[in-house]
Amino acid sequence: MSNEVKSATAPGVLQNENIQMALKFLKENGTLVALLILVIFFSFADEAFFTARNLTNLARQTTIVGIIAVGMTLVILINGIDLSVGSIVGLSAITVTLLMQAGVNIWLAVLLTILLTGVVIGLWNGFWVAHYNIPPFIITLGMMTIARGLALTLSGGGSVPVTNPTFSKIGGNFIPPGISSVIIIAALALFFFALFRGIQQKKKYEIEVNKQEIISSSVIAVLGLGLSLYVFTAYRGIPYPVAIFVVIAFIGIFVLENTKFGRRVYAMGGNEEAARLSGINVYRMKLSIYAVITALSALAGILLASRLNGASPNLGTMFELDAISAVIIGGTSFAGGIGTISGTVIGAFIIGILNNGMSLLGVPTFYQLMIKGFIIIAAVWFDVLSKKKKA
Amino acid sequence: MGEVILEMKNIIKDFPGVRALDEVNFEARSGELLALVGENGAGKSTLMKVLSGVWPYPTYEGDIHIRGELKQFRNTKDAEASRVAIIYQELNLIPELTVAENIFLDRQFTNAFGVVNWSKLYSETQKLLDELNITDFKPTDKVIELTVGKQQMVEIAKALSKNAEILVFDEPTSALTDKEVEALFEIIRKLKQQGVCMSYISHKMEELQQIADRMIVLRDGKTIGEVTPMSEITLDQIISRMVGRDIKDMFPKKEFQQGEKVLEVKHFEVDHPVLAGEKQVKDASFYAAKGEILGIAGLMGSGRTELVTGIFGAFPKDARGEVYLEGKKLDSKSPQEAIHHGIGLVTEDRKAMGLVLGQSILQNMTISSLETVANRWGVINKAQERQIADGYVEQLNIKTPGLSVAIDTLSGGNQQKVIVAKWLNTMPKVLILDEPTRGIDVGAKVEIYNLLNKLVEDGVTVIMISSELPEVMGMSDRILVMCEGEIAAELTREEATKELIMEYATGSKRKGV
Repeated sequence: MSNEVKSATAPGVLQNENIQMALKFLKENGTLVALLILVIFFSFADEAFFTARNLTNLARQTTIVGIIAVGMTLVILINGIDLSVGSIVGLSAITVTLLMQAGVNIWLAVLLTILLTGVVIGLWNGFWVAHYNIPPFIITLGMMTIARGLALTLSGGGSVPVTNPTFSKIGGNFIPPGISSVIIIAALALFFFALFRGIQQKKKYEIEVNKQEIISSSVIAVLGLGLSLYVFTAYRGIPYPVAIFVVIAFIGIFVLENTKFGRRVYAMGGNEEAARLSGINVYRMKLSIYAVITALSALAGILLASRLNGASPNLGTMFELDAISAVIIGGTSFAGGIGTISGTVIGAFIIGILNNGMSLLGVPTFYQLMIKGFIIIAAVWFDVLSKKKKA
Repeated sequence: MGEVILEMKNIIKDFPGVRALDEVNFEARSGELLALVGENGAGKSTLMKVLSGVWPYPTYEGDIHIRGELKQFRNTKDAEASRVAIIYQELNLIPELTVAENIFLDRQFTNAFGVVNWSKLYSETQKLLDELNITDFKPTDKVIELTVGKQQMVEIAKALSKNAEILVFDEPTSALTDKEVEALFEIIRKLKQQGVCMSYISHKMEELQQIADRMIVLRDGKTIGEVTPMSEITLDQIISRMVGRDIKDMFPKKEFQQGEKVLEVKHFEVDHPVLAGEKQVKDASFYAAKGEILGIAGLMGSGRTELVTGIFGAFPKDARGEVYLEGKKLDSKSPQEAIHHGIGLVTEDRKAMGLVLGQSILQNMTISSLETVANRWGVINKAQERQIADGYVEQLNIKTPGLSVAIDTLSGGNQQKVIVAKWLNTMPKVLILDEPTRGIDVGAKVEIYNLLNKLVEDGVTVIMISSELPEVMGMSDRILVMCEGEIAAELTREEATKELIMEYATGSKRKGV
């Protein structure tokens, strides 16, 4: 009797489980699915989209905002915001080009720019936030204006050209396709090595291994690296800025996931008072996080100046909005404590693909702005919706 | 005895995976206070939410009858219209508005143009306060300037202004001083005379014995036994209904060999954070020794929390004094220094200051001791971390489906155990627990007490603040009584009596007098 019942219900339950697993995957990887849908859509809409040349350009365009968005993820995770990043891009571009014009060695110029327009300004922002508890919105809004004004003052309102060919290479050159393919294959090998070691360690401590998670992450890694292998060998190789972005994103992901620093970031975002009473130096954490984001913005400014072979004080206008959008689309909660950098990277690429794809299709810029706006609202709505279901 | 006003019949309420209410039956009468007793998670609050329309019909099964009439509330407004009102633990007042504006928030007296008739608003409010014999505040006072106890009276006045006939109190006294509790009870007695039907959810048995007429116990979503008059049941019987077993020894105190002084505090002072010149702690000196639990008693606002939080280094600007740990002078300017020296603090307000809600049990457990699971580069060995956490889950008997689930999903008692685990992993020499059993059910309380014994046995010096006198007397080796920021008395376990502690705590008796 009981056997009969079992066999009658088993297939139904199994099906239900499969559906639930698929739903769970969708919910957890909603942004990734959205990214895929966009890629497929634009590939069919315009044949120029899915070409190695266009995708290489797309990646290069995305990296500038992407680098800033990595830092923005940290700031939003601790319940903060940094509106000054766009102006920092302009200021750092002007600073680095002016320094080189004055005859400073390029590497020294790059270093000084990151220190002065990145770290120092970030510490200043962080100081006001941490020491006087002034809302970061206000402090960085002020710095947004100050930095832009400073960039205009230093440059006298005009552009600064770049004459140094080595400097142009930072933002403009490619890792040759041969070496690129070796790097990508090595990355794939490294991924499986890390996966294997993780499983081994779990077994050592007798912790259950989640097979589903392993399979889905393997599929994503193979697909992603396979696509990059195609794109970067079929055209001119990996652009330097893309390589820099990938390295920064990976450091970010690793730090958030696997270090004390990362745990503290999440704890602070979840409950700052509890974090303080748990022995976290909230003050120092804030200083360092605001320094990191402006340093990354300064780096983005340098890459942009290099790629454009010159700097204008208005570079980076509205970048703060693109960076914040990437973070939010990537699933980071504006209330802090929840979010990942891998999500942000996907978010940055969604914005990049939208910009690139809509331009290819000839959608007028005015419409592009509106569509982007609606997508940001939709992303937040999805976030709110999925949270409601949990409660 | 009054007529039956409210009847709840066979109420069933399911949440995904759990049946929160399982055929609950009871009836409440006019002019009486029915106590609703049960452990946390027994279903008391869910039941009240069904009654008040928060969980609307038909998300539950069963019938609600008011004065014999079947009611199916679709929302809270429906319930209000049937004269049901609930006074929640968290008050729902707007702090910047006046008492009168809050009471008549959704029904302001206005003229044809929508302009508020202020004099009518104030006079109606005054009438209401007069009826309740409330003279402590005026209709024109801003709510933000009132104490929690007075705010609660505003809530009661608000409920009555809507002609509430069924009034539910959800743990109303958890944030009140004794004086305020007495004032609340005065009002409740008056309401009884007026024939209001009241239901009262509380953990505090002593209060119930003072104020309740009858009681019903809920356990695991079921009503246990019949509604019983308070006069016919003993405390032990109530507790055994609640937990389903007899708790012979509510306070399993073990005594250990007293050792040397571990923590010594001299002339400790904490300034009031806002009021210049005011002090929350005045010239406090005391010690805690190895092998003992040092209890700290006192009324709310007597400076207990400020004293221990100050010692923990959380008020670097406002606190000063000498703190010695094992004879060495500490100068903790932040909690992290205090933790480094071997002091831990389980905070009073679990949700606001102890837990990182929304994050996993694992993350909450290791946040204060990440160096124990990380290498010198700050990289965490996650597998090792899990192993350590699993160890605590087993050792402290934490009931959880796993380490990755959000801490919010655990019951209060299990959340508290996670916090204790968090501190244990910092290897403390002194562990301070501020109200460690607040809002925790009886069974979990006993587990926490056993845990304290275990800590002392393992050589940790324990300091426990508690507002519950039986608890502080039952578990402490020595008791400090605080009054208005001063340590008013130090009593041994043998000499401490409830009366003596209260005399010192209220300031009616002073040191050396």
